Amino acid sequence: MKVVLVKRVKPLPLGGLVIPGASIVIGVLISTVVLYVISRADPLVTLSCVASALVSPEIVLTFLFLTILGAALLVAFNGSIWNIGAEGQLWLGTAAATYIALFTALPQAPAIAKVAMVLTAMALGGTWAAVAGVLRAYLSIDEVPVTLIMNYIAYYIINYLVRGPWLGKKTWGYIRTDMIPDQVKFTLLPGSTTVTYEVLIIAVLALIAVYFMLKYTSLGLRIRILGSNPDALKAAGVNVRALIITALTLSGAIAGAMGAAQLAGYLHRISYPIESHTANYGYTAILVAWLSMLDIRAVPIAAYIVSALYQAGISMQIAGISSASATYVFIGAVLLTFTVLRVFSEYSLRVIRG
Amino acid sequence: MTLLKTYKKDFSSKNKPPVVSVVGISKKFPGSIALDGVDFTILEGEVHALLGENGAGKTTLVKILYGIYVPDRGEIYVRGRKAQINSPKEAIRQGIVMVSQVPQLIDKLTVAENLILGLEKYGFITRVGKVRYFIREKSREVGIEVDPDTEVWKLSYTQKQLVELLRALLLNAKVLLLDEAITFLPLIEKKKFYKFIRDFANKSGSVILITHKIYEALEVADRITVLRLGRVVGTVPRSKVSPDVVRKMMFAERSSQVTYERLPMSTPRESAALEISDLWVMGDHGDHAVRGVSLTLRAGEVMGIAGIAGNGQKELIQAIVGLRRVEKGRIRLYSEDITNRSVSKVRIRGVGYIPDQPAKYGLSLENSIEENLAMLPSLTNRLINWGSIRDLARKLIKEFNIMTPSPKTPVKFLSGGNIMKVLVSRELLVARRLLVAYNPTRALDEVTAIMVRKIIKEKASTEGIGVLVASEDLDEILQISDRIAVMNSGRVVRVFSSSEAVRDEIEKLMVM
Ligand SMILES: Nc1ncnc2c1ncn2[C@@H]1O[C@H](COP(=O)(O)OP(=O)(O)OP(=O)(O)O)[C@@H](O)[C@H]1O
Ligand SMILES: [Mg+2]
Repeated sequence: MKVVLVKRVKPLPLGGLVIPGASIVIGVLISTVVLYVISRADPLVTLSCVASALVSPEIVLTFLFLTILGAALLVAFNGSIWNIGAEGQLWLGTAAATYIALFTALPQAPAIAKVAMVLTAMALGGTWAAVAGVLRAYLSIDEVPVTLIMNYIAYYIINYLVRGPWLGKKTWGYIRTDMIPDQVKFTLLPGSTTVTYEVLIIAVLALIAVYFMLKYTSLGLRIRILGSNPDALKAAGVNVRALIITALTLSGAIAGAMGAAQLAGYLHRISYPIESHTANYGYTAILVAWLSMLDIRAVPIAAYIVSALYQAGISMQIAGISSASATYVFIGAVLLTFTVLRVFSEYSLRVIRG
Repeated sequence: MTLLKTYKKDFSSKNKPPVVSVVGISKKFPGSIALDGVDFTILEGEVHALLGENGAGKTTLVKILYGIYVPDRGEIYVRGRKAQINSPKEAIRQGIVMVSQVPQLIDKLTVAENLILGLEKYGFITRVGKVRYFIREKSREVGIEVDPDTEVWKLSYTQKQLVELLRALLLNAKVLLLDEAITFLPLIEKKKFYKFIRDFANKSGSVILITHKIYEALEVADRITVLRLGRVVGTVPRSKVSPDVVRKMMFAERSSQVTYERLPMSTPRESAALEISDLWVMGDHGDHAVRGVSLTLRAGEVMGIAGIAGNGQKELIQAIVGLRRVEKGRIRLYSEDITNRSVSKVRIRGVGYIPDQPAKYGLSLENSIEENLAMLPSLTNRLINWGSIRDLARKLIKEFNIMTPSPKTPVKFLSGGNIMKVLVSRELLVARRLLVAYNPTRALDEVTAIMVRKIIKEKASTEGIGVLVASEDLDEILQISDRIAVMNSGRVVRVFSSSEAVRDEIEKLMVM
């Protein structure tokens, strides 16, 4: 007996917004059921939490982070390069920015220091992703497991640094770095306690840059074609290896920039262990990328919805409505629904005897 | 119109009943009308050729019969009963099965497994042993061996197409739809397929045969229907028509452009465009596909490579453009050694390449004509100037008469021949010093094919580029070449100058 997926001669006519829209609705409905079963959360309360998150100002920072990461992932995903490593790339970006802020003399010139924090974060995030790019380009090693494993390696490295050489002097017993100097912290928007000018600028730049890159540069066009027909690219005389590496590097660099923003604009220090302090934006952004259907113009919309779900989960937990991580129930349910709908619109499942 | 009337009497006199009739079928796509009020009948026991220029609507018509497209208007009757064919499943239930030119098999499964899968998908239940037996028997009958237990990726193109055909038979096909499914087979095997089709029809099966090879159509078909711009020009019995009449129906006044005369010799220059010496190249199956080929191609010269598919032509060409490793030997482009250089390095030097699998190595079907132009490093810089790319696309669309709603339409929405035109026109554009091509006119209608050959020849003469054309179509080779190299088992067995080339002799060397 073998089970195979067979591509449909005629894909189901589910165009444009049907799949992302349906997966959000169905995913949320499934979540209400799951949350009812595991922690007796009243489905109506769950739905009202989602509704109020949609208009909550608390989602703005998450929205901006996810927008940046969504843009980062689109650079790779458009070329069918499945970068699952934004989580590691962004945290190394955070580490790079921390290094500049705490262990160099640059903070004496704050403006330069801020730029340097973002640029080194991009360099390190990009380099980290490039490793997976080189392995894929030269040794045909699948980037999915590589980028995934590299997330854990990134955690490990940062945990090591924070416990050892980077351990702060004024930490009151916590294992964490010192606070970065005030003058390199990003500037809060008036009236907000979390959102800074700089993170807003980075998000806007990331969106514009990725839009422009995909539309008006030969690099972007080739990345898009890489997703549908790499053989044609090769025969056209495009260096496909360099292309794969470049795409992953850019993707990692943008994720790295978000890492710098999270340090300078919000966290201000790194705490040990990363595993329990990370918001897992790097993984959550994968859902944003999918829901956008890899269209950069839809990334802010997808990021908005996902950040609302994210926030709904958190507020349910804080209010004691659900015990489990409601956030991951929402994200997981929508992602799963999306995947199932996508696969079954194009494939059907067959069992062969014999 | 007059044609239609005179012949209508003729086939009503034949007392074969219609199996399928199509009445007033229309189908629009965004930006194009593929079919416009088509009437068409298939009789029991006939081979019915469906002819027409590129984009005439042939594929659309058979896809409607197979339930892949649903017509906007019109009716389909199967054995006199009105049928709603809105899925391949329903078509198969009615006994209508399509065999396409691209095998739809799953590579990692065996032949038998593939067939069983194909059967169960449509609710046919059979025993595995029976399927195996059927494959063995039938493949012996046709004369092309296929082992039911080999995995599909190991099969040749011919074997895969046979498996597709066997799948149709197992599905109990009464009407076979062959959309250029036989066109690309090597000549000898093609004959076996045609015999098989004739036998199928003689046992009261029906076949719709789509091809651009008019002589072949006239040889095997009982009747011929010609489509033009989505309308039926006429249906005629074979016995009543000559190739010229059919061409008139297909191309109207443009039919006078069809000629198979040798094109005027170009004037080779002194310099060698391409020098190949003692070249050895591996094939896909671990043995040498090219075995010590040496050739010199002058600038301004067109050299044809004749040979049956699978004698090393594909590998030779891939080695030249850098897609395949050279084991031994040298390749020089205008005296510069390009052996084992990357494709990018070779192509940027002004080398155009028309590959043997256009949809895989030529174009990206998901992308538009503009994007397929802009993807070439020799046509764009880092920043794409979409304005100038659009002008270029418009120019090619006009020059090659590419039927497309716009330069922005994804190429996959064009007809097979129009997709090929996009590729050929692009490669002719970038071939500033050398053009290497494999079957450059595959899928093109006769008028377009001849136009392309003329353009190639002219480019060689006036711009002095070297042209190496491998083709399985000997007519093409004879028409276009200044010299002809015959390849057999990885070697060049002889080089003829075009004046001394004799068809029979070349054919003998090809099969030797
Ligand atoms: N899926 C589609 N979407 C949009 N337009 C289409 C589609 N399929 C076909 N067309 C258009 O319909 C017309 C007829 O196409 P069709 O493929 O039937 O031609 P054809 O006779 O098979 O030509 P060829 O000899 O080139 O294969 C063309 O203009 C084509 O662009
Ligand atoms: Mg066609």
